Amino acid sequence: MKSRQHDFGPSDDSLFNDVLSSLDIAVFERENPGEFRLRGLPPDWWSVCFGPADCTLLDLGRCSPFLQDYLAGAHPVWESTPGTIEKSGAWAESDRQGGTMTLEATVLSIGSRRLLLIERLGLRFEQMRDIVQRARERTLAEDIAVKSHRKTETRLMGQLEASKRTKDDALLLLQHLKLAALVLDEHGHITFVSDSGLEMLGLAAENVVGRQWEQALPLQKQDRLMIREMLGLSSHGGKIGPFHIEGPSPCWIEMELHRDPRHPGRRIVVLNDRTELHALRRALNEQASFHDLMGKSPAMLRIYQLVQDIAQVDTTVLIEGETGTGKELIARAIHSTSGRRNKPFIAANCAGLTDSLLTSQLFGHKRGAFTGAVNDQQGLFEAAEGGTLFLDEIGDIPSQVQTALLRVLQEKEITKLGEAKPRKVEVRVLAATHHNLSEDVVRGSFRADLLYRIRIARVQLPPLRERRKDIPLLAYSFLDQICTATGKTIKLLNPDTLRLLMSHPWPGNVRELKSAIEFSVISCKGKEVLPTDLPPEITGSSVVSSPSVWISITDQDAKSRLLAALSDAKGNRTEAARRLGVSRATFYRRLVELNIHPTR
Amino acid sequence: MMQKKICMLGGFAVGKTSLVRRFVSNMFSDHYQTTIGVTVEKKNVTVDNRDVMLMLWDLYGDDEFQRVRDSYLRGSSGYILVMDGTRKVTLDTALALQQTAARTVGAVPFVSIINKADVRSEWEITECAIEQLRERGWPVLFGSAKLGQGVEELFVTLATRMGNPSPRSTDRS
Repeated sequence: MKSRQHDFGPSDDSLFNDVLSSLDIAVFERENPGEFRLRGLPPDWWSVCFGPADCTLLDLGRCSPFLQDYLAGAHPVWESTPGTIEKSGAWAESDRQGGTMTLEATVLSIGSRRLLLIERLGLRFEQMRDIVQRARERTLAEDIAVKSHRKTETRLMGQLEASKRTKDDALLLLQHLKLAALVLDEHGHITFVSDSGLEMLGLAAENVVGRQWEQALPLQKQDRLMIREMLGLSSHGGKIGPFHIEGPSPCWIEMELHRDPRHPGRRIVVLNDRTELHALRRALNEQASFHDLMGKSPAMLRIYQLVQDIAQVDTTVLIEGETGTGKELIARAIHSTSGRRNKPFIAANCAGLTDSLLTSQLFGHKRGAFTGAVNDQQGLFEAAEGGTLFLDEIGDIPSQVQTALLRVLQEKEITKLGEAKPRKVEVRVLAATHHNLSEDVVRGSFRADLLYRIRIARVQLPPLRERRKDIPLLAYSFLDQICTATGKTIKLLNPDTLRLLMSHPWPGNVRELKSAIEFSVISCKGKEVLPTDLPPEITGSSVVSSPSVWISITDQDAKSRLLAALSDAKGNRTEAARRLGVSRATFYRRLVELNIHPTR
Repeated sequence: MMQKKICMLGGFAVGKTSLVRRFVSNMFSDHYQTTIGVTVEKKNVTVDNRDVMLMLWDLYGDDEFQRVRDSYLRGSSGYILVMDGTRKVTLDTALALQQTAARTVGAVPFVSIINKADVRSEWEITECAIEQLRERGWPVLFGSAKLGQGVEELFVTLATRMGNPSPRSTDRS
């Protein structure tokens, strides 16, 4: 409320009314409670809002509910100090044209006169209304935006929480399943490794996560190269390994490489512990081989057992089998398994030697014992002292040597050529032949007593055609050996290749098979041995006969073939035998049979 | 006929005008039009077999732009505190306005209503806060001017309280 000290006299009424009429304000003077007299003319809006002012004395309470309430009773302003002014505040009033007017009343008293001014709030009020409207709308919009942000934040927090829970669950699941896995990013850095993975690798997380896999994983060089090659391939992955993991707890792991479906550059690597499997496989391989012998067919398993049994006793052994079946390998296995393993193993081929030469070789000679004996010569029996002497092709030794040999076996003493006094030898004799010695005894070409003496123990090696199951094992073993030696990386035998190998009669037995694989490795241009890489006698595309056929062809042809092989091998008989796919013993025997006397 | 002045109090945009319009003319508009000053509406009701004319003073929303004038409240027989369930701040405004009204017009009857029950899932005013209001002695109703829910009940409840002076709703805080 504001106080004013001015007063108007009755002489000013005319001016007063004129001024009021020119303003857009309705001015009333209170005469009686509830009755107000209009001063001056009413503004134009008055009749629109309240109807025509028919008389100057009005009951304003009837005009407006607001005014009725506002003016009810004696207004405090009129009861207070003269000159006090109060504004009612704006109110909305419906007009007679269906619109709304915003009005404001001012109450004041001047002297004894109690006045009421009613004005219509105009442009400035509308502008203020617009400002407030916009401000409030903006506040509401901001409130909505804040809520939306908060809702988004809550949703994201929820998703994050759910994601964390999912991650925890996944980790728990990995842990429960004992799934060993790691994740590599586009640059080969390890971004995640499961607990089981750490346990398997024997590593701590801080030494693995964030590091290059090549630095973090204790792999061997060739394994790293292979894994790098696999990771570089655009394929979806696959299994590789097993690889040997070095460290405090060495193990063998197989890796399953998968592309991360969300990020093509990332890789998921599942680790499988193959240590036990590797050990079992190694044990199985050991069972599939015995020393240098290879095969896991029942026949070969029986041979291994027999060799072990024979090695425990110190008897003479006769090893029988077709050429190329590995008779010398059996002899070496017996020696290596026996108590003589740390003593010499001497192998002598008895084929193709004259009796004097063979006697000299076996028993030695004194200087001057015969023409050309310019020095004392130690015999093979002496050389094998304490160890094992392997006499290959024993069926081919001349009868005089058979007698001397029988004496050695019975008396365990030898007499050098040119010496009268025998000397004791402590040698185990293992003999081998491709002959049927019993038939030789019947024919009279082999001494029966010598046969019985050497055949105390007997090992009969099966031909390869009777143990075809071993062919894949042997073929892959030879492939591996030959590739290692030649530096080639052929890993596979084509199924058709394998089928041909399985169906071939292999008259040259394992030696022929090895020779065929060697041939195919040389011929092979890819990673897989194809049928076309095999020797023509196996594919059936050649007119060249197999060794078995070779045996039966005419002597003249055979002689030409032997001489050609000798020529190709520059006179080296071992190499010539290898080229023909026969043993050195067989080659010698054939030389004698065909009366070939090489100059070398 | 007996007349009773009722003031609609609350923060801006809580739905005071919408509640009055729904009650008086059964109309509703989604368009927000801020109230400046006051609009007085009349509605006749029958309470306890007596006809009463309710003079509904729809006051502007209280905020930093406009504070409710004591002169508007003078002579009120009761008042309604309106809150927007989706804006927690309107509960704080209602609490402040109740203090102002009690100071200006004394311990007259009042009721409170939490408007916008049609979007209950978006409410920020919690059950706990509502319970605290009731513990203060506030009659708390829920309604939706948009759907017309709880509107009639709101005014009738207050009219009944005004016609039956005892017991009156008071803030016991």
